[in-house]
Amino acid sequence: MLTRITKAVLCAGALTLAQPAAQAEEFTEADLKSWEEQFMTVVKRGEKLFHGGLESKNTVSCDQCHPNATNTHPETYPKFQQQLGKVAVLSEMINWCIENPLETEPLALDDPRMTALQAYITWERRGVELAPGKH
Amino acid sequence: MSIKRRDFLKTGGALLAAGSLPLSLVEVAFGKNSPQNFTFAFISDSHITHIKGNEFVRNWDMGLKRAIAEANLMTPRPDFTIYGGDIAQLGTPEEIDHGLELLGALRGDVRYVMGEHDYYLDLGDYWRKQLGPDYYSFDHKGVHFVVLNSIVTYDEWTHQDWDTPMARMKEMARLDNPNGSPFMVGPTQREWLRKDLEKVDKDTPLVVISHSPLQKIYKGWNFWTDDAEEVQALLKPFRKVTVLYGHVHQIQYNQIGNISFHAAMATAWPWPYPSTYSQEASYMPKLTVEMNRADPFFERDATGWQFINMHSGNVDVHYTLPDNTNRVVAFNEDKGHPEDTKYQAEAEQIPPQEHY
Amino acid sequence: MLQKLPTAGALSLALLCGPLPALGETPLGLPPVPIPADNPQTPAKIELGDRLFNDVRFSADGKVSCATCHDPSKAFTDNLPVSEGFKGLKGTRNAPTVINAAYMETQFWDGREPSLEAQSLQPPINPVEGGLENHDPILKTIRDDPQYVNAFREVFQVSPDEITMDHVAKAIASFERTQIAGDSPFDRYFFGGEEDAMTEAQIRGFQVFTGQGRCVSCHQVEQTQALFTDNRFHNIGVGFKNIKGRVAEIAEEFLKAKAEGADVDKTVLTDPDASELGRFAVSEDMTDIAAFKTPTLRNIELTAPYMHDGSQETLEDMVEFYNNGGRVNPDDPVSPFLSGGIRPLDLSEQQKEDLIAFMKALTSPSVAAATKSAANNAQ
Repeated sequence: MLTRITKAVLCAGALTLAQPAAQAEEFTEADLKSWEEQFMTVVKRGEKLFHGGLESKNTVSCDQCHPNATNTHPETYPKFQQQLGKVAVLSEMINWCIENPLETEPLALDDPRMTALQAYITWERRGVELAPGKH
Repeated sequence: MSIKRRDFLKTGGALLAAGSLPLSLVEVAFGKNSPQNFTFAFISDSHITHIKGNEFVRNWDMGLKRAIAEANLMTPRPDFTIYGGDIAQLGTPEEIDHGLELLGALRGDVRYVMGEHDYYLDLGDYWRKQLGPDYYSFDHKGVHFVVLNSIVTYDEWTHQDWDTPMARMKEMARLDNPNGSPFMVGPTQREWLRKDLEKVDKDTPLVVISHSPLQKIYKGWNFWTDDAEEVQALLKPFRKVTVLYGHVHQIQYNQIGNISFHAAMATAWPWPYPSTYSQEASYMPKLTVEMNRADPFFERDATGWQFINMHSGNVDVHYTLPDNTNRVVAFNEDKGHPEDTKYQAEAEQIPPQEHY
Repeated sequence: MLQKLPTAGALSLALLCGPLPALGETPLGLPPVPIPADNPQTPAKIELGDRLFNDVRFSADGKVSCATCHDPSKAFTDNLPVSEGFKGLKGTRNAPTVINAAYMETQFWDGREPSLEAQSLQPPINPVEGGLENHDPILKTIRDDPQYVNAFREVFQVSPDEITMDHVAKAIASFERTQIAGDSPFDRYFFGGEEDAMTEAQIRGFQVFTGQGRCVSCHQVEQTQALFTDNRFHNIGVGFKNIKGRVAEIAEEFLKAKAEGADVDKTVLTDPDASELGRFAVSEDMTDIAAFKTPTLRNIELTAPYMHDGSQETLEDMVEFYNNGGRVNPDDPVSPFLSGGIRPLDLSEQQKEDLIAFMKALTSPSVAAATKSAANNAQ
């Protein structure tokens, strides 16, 4: 999906220099709607995982400490995390929570469940200004 | 300062007092039935969680154990302990029994409050079987205490066609559930309260204890009681009223007319302030200086319990906060509301108290 | 990564000279040494401090100096469970290394002194350490020693009568601030970008250290430096079985004694029960019951035994202790006052071995050399 958007944007840029006629790669309102639906499906999946869907070994779930994904601060990553001893990205901190409070095996960083969790967490924080590194 | 006052200061808790108990120096004259000064402990929201067999979530067990161990260190002993509700996570007999077994280590009597996590599996049957009625009153040293069950909700929600009682419990256990239902005290208990208060002199200090706040802060997480105003109206004729509540897992305090409000920390885990949810508005009392944001590595950080100093009918809440700086929210006679004795002024506040 | 790697020449020089001298460069992996504004480092002051540090006359039996328990040939420890003072009297606490103590925000296991200066004043007059009644004999010895008189005049511009314990403390602290050691294999690997500075096992151990071992939250590593301490106090379960069931009475008795004027330094080193109260003895805050300061892990291979009471003999014992959630045996009772950071870790044997290998990557070559040459000389 991203590739297609990039391509569309790049082409649009290039085309302004050449001819304004060709629209072959432009995206439409229908595309936008469809992509948003795709995204929201993953958000919903993330919401389920966040609310007990990770089948954590000790039954603890993310929402117990983070109702509506509050205090997860996705807009502040990457940032220094003392618990990891380095500047970390959000998914690393999600794994820290899965391993520690949830006492469960961490997810691969490209696991679709990790993507879904991040989709939900950032969706609940939409509109908030980026603040990388903030504590 | 009266002689009596000094005596109290002197014996005001070898442990806690060691320099940290800033008791008000003002003695307020009450009528002939002057309330005495005393202390009690206030522990809440342990969320004991059964995993399987004999296994319970260690983190939550440790929170309750610590609160009990610390409360047992107090000298002089608190007169009694209030347990503010949510002893269990999913209301099962295993969880309630395990919680009560741990609380058995607490010295002195405990008065219990019903929380939604104790209630929505069997509508409080097992809890009441173990602990008795879920609303009642008692008098102690000139103060009238009332305990309410504030977490009941509308019958249409409670008695809808659930697959299992556990399905209902799990719906209500999710704090941010859009399919939840607002808490309330309800007409039966309000009528009982009206009658109960009829016998009480208007000069007698009242302490009302509920699980949810008897004020409206944020409906989305049930930091809310639907009939809060009706309950407040019943308390209005009294000269000095304090409402104590659990549920919110955070420091909150407020003053509405004659009523002071104080929330308890959870022994289990902290909750963010509703203001940090960027998609909805909430009504956090302006008076409240927020507790510190937690470092989740230290499982007890931003959890805690309360030691309450009752003096001249006023409530001073001493927040005992492991891995954190203790806080004291005391009633300020001059200003007529509770305030943090250290962090109330903006200049005194520290970075972790800034939530975003 | 931001740290410049010392050249081979500088490194070998450091090896020859022991820990870096006074005004030297900051070693790899460490921040600049904090120097108090009222006690600047000078070579003469450091030399004076070194002499004071090793002077056995500052004790009741004329046999105990700072170096008795903080022996430069033993990585500035005594390698004993708890230290032995004059007449062989034992205290209650394990001697922490002086190396890198300059970075500590408080001194002693319970942080009861705020600075190296203040710290140095206590041991000579502790009944189980130097054993002196007060500091007067120290000042007399100094004033009667022409070499000291000259040195104090040069360093502090004071006549013999004007020499005070404040001067003594400042000189000792200045010397201690030169005992700085980084440049360990870990530093070269993590900050110096030398991929082969650590072994495969040590690299895996670092993963355990920052991951499942839950070590790094307190023994801090940052992007540009690693103090391996958070300068805070935590109850990790050490000593709990000694005071189990008696915490209330011990705490109450201690507070009563303190309120009546008992000295904290003397009490905690002579009363084993009071010692177990840890930071609480200083702060009187329940959060600090049996909490002790996080020590640095630098040079830990050379500073056995471990913990505030020296109760863990080896790194293996210590890892086992943490793996059991702050207990020697997995079925020992858990203190209700245990820090929320401590819990069973469920490490595999491989992970434990790797973690120990990693800790051995924290040894500074300068400290290893000083220890080794002392061992050779002793043979």
